[in-house]
Amino acid sequence: MQIIRRTATLVFACLMATSLPAASAAAASDADVLVLYSNNRLVPGNIAVDRGLRSSIRNSPDRHVQIFSEFLDRPDFGGADYESTVVTYLRDKYAARAPSVVVAVSNEAFQFLIDHRSELFSGVPLIHTAVAKSYLAAMPALPPDVVGVPREYDFAGTIQQAMRWHPDARKLVIVTGASDRDRVWERDLRRDVPRIAEGFDVEFLAGLPSTTVLAGLRTLGADSIVFTPGFYEDGTGALFNPRDVAALLAPVSGAPVYGPFDTFIGTGVVGGRMPAFDAMGEQAGEIVNAVLDGGSPTSLRLPQATPMSLRVDWRQIRRWGIDEKSVPADTVIYYKEATFWELYHDVVLAIAIVILLQTGLIVSLLLERRRRRNAEIAVQQQRTALAHASRLAMAGELTASIAHEINQPLGAILASADAAELMLDAGDSRREDLKRIVSRIRRDDLRASDVISRLRTLLAKHEPERKPFDLNEATSDVVGLLETEARHRHVILEARLATAPARVIGDRTQIQQVLINLLLNAIDAVADLPEQQRTITVSIERSGEMIVISVRDRGPGIAPEHLSRLFDSFFTTKHKGMGLGLSIARSIVEAHLGGIRVENDPAGGAIFRVELPGAAGAAANAGAMA
Amino acid sequence: MSAKPLIHVVDDDDSLRASLLDLLDAAGFEARGYASTGEFLLNPLPDRPGCVLLDVRLPGPSGLDLQDAMRRQSSALPVIFLTGHADVATSVRAMKAGAVDFLEKPVRREALLDALARALERDASSRAARAQLDQQAARFAGLAPREQTVFDRIVAGKLNKQIADELGVSLRTVKAYRAQLMEKLGVDSAAELGKLAGERASRSR
Repeated sequence: MQIIRRTATLVFACLMATSLPAASAAAASDADVLVLYSNNRLVPGNIAVDRGLRSSIRNSPDRHVQIFSEFLDRPDFGGADYESTVVTYLRDKYAARAPSVVVAVSNEAFQFLIDHRSELFSGVPLIHTAVAKSYLAAMPALPPDVVGVPREYDFAGTIQQAMRWHPDARKLVIVTGASDRDRVWERDLRRDVPRIAEGFDVEFLAGLPSTTVLAGLRTLGADSIVFTPGFYEDGTGALFNPRDVAALLAPVSGAPVYGPFDTFIGTGVVGGRMPAFDAMGEQAGEIVNAVLDGGSPTSLRLPQATPMSLRVDWRQIRRWGIDEKSVPADTVIYYKEATFWELYHDVVLAIAIVILLQTGLIVSLLLERRRRRNAEIAVQQQRTALAHASRLAMAGELTASIAHEINQPLGAILASADAAELMLDAGDSRREDLKRIVSRIRRDDLRASDVISRLRTLLAKHEPERKPFDLNEATSDVVGLLETEARHRHVILEARLATAPARVIGDRTQIQQVLINLLLNAIDAVADLPEQQRTITVSIERSGEMIVISVRDRGPGIAPEHLSRLFDSFFTTKHKGMGLGLSIARSIVEAHLGGIRVENDPAGGAIFRVELPGAAGAAANAGAMA
Repeated sequence: MSAKPLIHVVDDDDSLRASLLDLLDAAGFEARGYASTGEFLLNPLPDRPGCVLLDVRLPGPSGLDLQDAMRRQSSALPVIFLTGHADVATSVRAMKAGAVDFLEKPVRREALLDALARALERDASSRAARAQLDQQAARFAGLAPREQTVFDRIVAGKLNKQIADELGVSLRTVKAYRAQLMEKLGVDSAAELGKLAGERASRSR
């Protein structure tokens, strides 16, 4: 459309050059242009023509052009009375302000102005635009000051476009009517189609009853194209107008229907090559310019027809599966519902960006979460490893008592076995002695394996468990394990267990490790005291939901300045200590959703308290976590 | 001296103690068990050859403490230590204090019996030495005061003449005392007498 418009502009530039001398003669200071449209002001064609006119009619410093628009509002209003009313109205309205040029837009307006020219705008040049060439041809000869470029139809161009859009089509069906005018179209088509539709199976449905035509079109398949200019009368003599024919045929046709008139758009036809209203407006505007410049309308050399543009019903493009990319860029498209994107692309873009950012954020949060989770797992593994290492270290501290505890029964077994052997060698019949010895061997063996299994649980490297266990049993085991050590260091270990089972959920070994740690610390704490003070009490009590293990010694207590740092890593007051035992103990207890604290007993010594949720509470918490 | 050796087993572990007693019994020894240092010390020891099998780690006073206490008695029995876990410091201390051996539990029978044999041998020899010293002491106790005086001067390296002068007696009288005390002490020569005097001096130190 752009190219066409530019071409039109060029044409009129030439025209103006030829009429320049005349232009200089007449220099009206102001000029009014009256434009009369056939239809309603909001008809798209009118709007396009108006746009074309306004873009082409020039103002200059010494000439101010005003454009007035009037509308006949056809076909909504008509009849002789209406016409006379309009005539009166226009005459009265423009009596004092006669236009310099009148422009008629399309057939009815042109006809109106021709009919009432003498009453209304006598002697004013009349320029027509968008008037059908055939309409003009049917009128009597026009006065010389009535000029314009007729609107023409492009049957061949429409058919050729259809053939391009349906490359697989092999059949061309042409529908025409029975009236004289229909016959003219038929004749033209019969003349031109063989040339443009070479290789096509061309079928004319000419002058047939409309029912026959409809039946024929229904049977068509996708290999066909239908072209019709519509008709005014069918084979039965029934009268139509072309647009009604298009509306009748297009919806039921098995093949796409093309037509050459813009009025067909919307009836179901795909479209066709049709005059462009913008260009018509521009053409008219250029003629107005030339006339206002003083050119004589008769001297203008005008093109034979208005430029064409391709017009399509986008719904039909979709319906017939026409490749959207093959629709030329300058095509005038109707009924293309703006896609959501076209309507709201700013909003969509903004939302998309927000969603994208949000997604990015979510992804990064997820990654972060995974990283943290991995870090937590790593920390957990390190904590487990550290706890194990710490148990090994504790076991190292206990080596002497452990070895003692294992070697006692082993020594007894060996001695018993030796004794038995000697008795047997001597041949004495000491059955009773031998029986006693053997049963003692069995006892000692069990004793040794008991020690080993206790140690193995403590020293084995295992993933932390979450199982219910009784703190009473776990504590007695620990006291049993440490009893030898305590005894040899002349320390009395006193266990005051809870009367009821004190069940907690967690890792028994780790909790035992905490206890061992606290007890060994306590044993160290009382090591330098007089022997009667070397007593350590470990007690288990229930306190509401929690179960509290207290380890109390009668040692010197904790120096006040150490109390706050006691559970920190690498804090130690011992010579050989690493300062990890209590820090590991705290991390173990906290992993069991418990707490560990220390205070000095006013009566002397330190009290370490480990609080763990009782099994019921712990289970509830575990449920909440799951 | 002719009495059968008695082995004392001090170990707080009832089972081990009983096993050792059975083993010693089967090996032909007479043995007696004690659960603690205190129990051992409270029981009067019969004057019989023997030795002590002593656990290092005991409740209350340890085996090392008992060893120290026994060393202060002249009639100390040889000690064989038994331990569940031998650390260097403890074993060195025990051996320096005169332990016959330091055995780690579980003890192999050969090692135990071997150590027992050595301990009893040591006990026997220290008993013999002690018996000899007792005999000498008895002999010294049999000397008359005058003979004692003469012995002291002989040991101090004085000549008969000097002794006679100092005591205001005749040379002949000194010679008679000298012959009497040599007979009482069971020595034949002045050299032997000197040796005996040396031993006595060292013991009384």
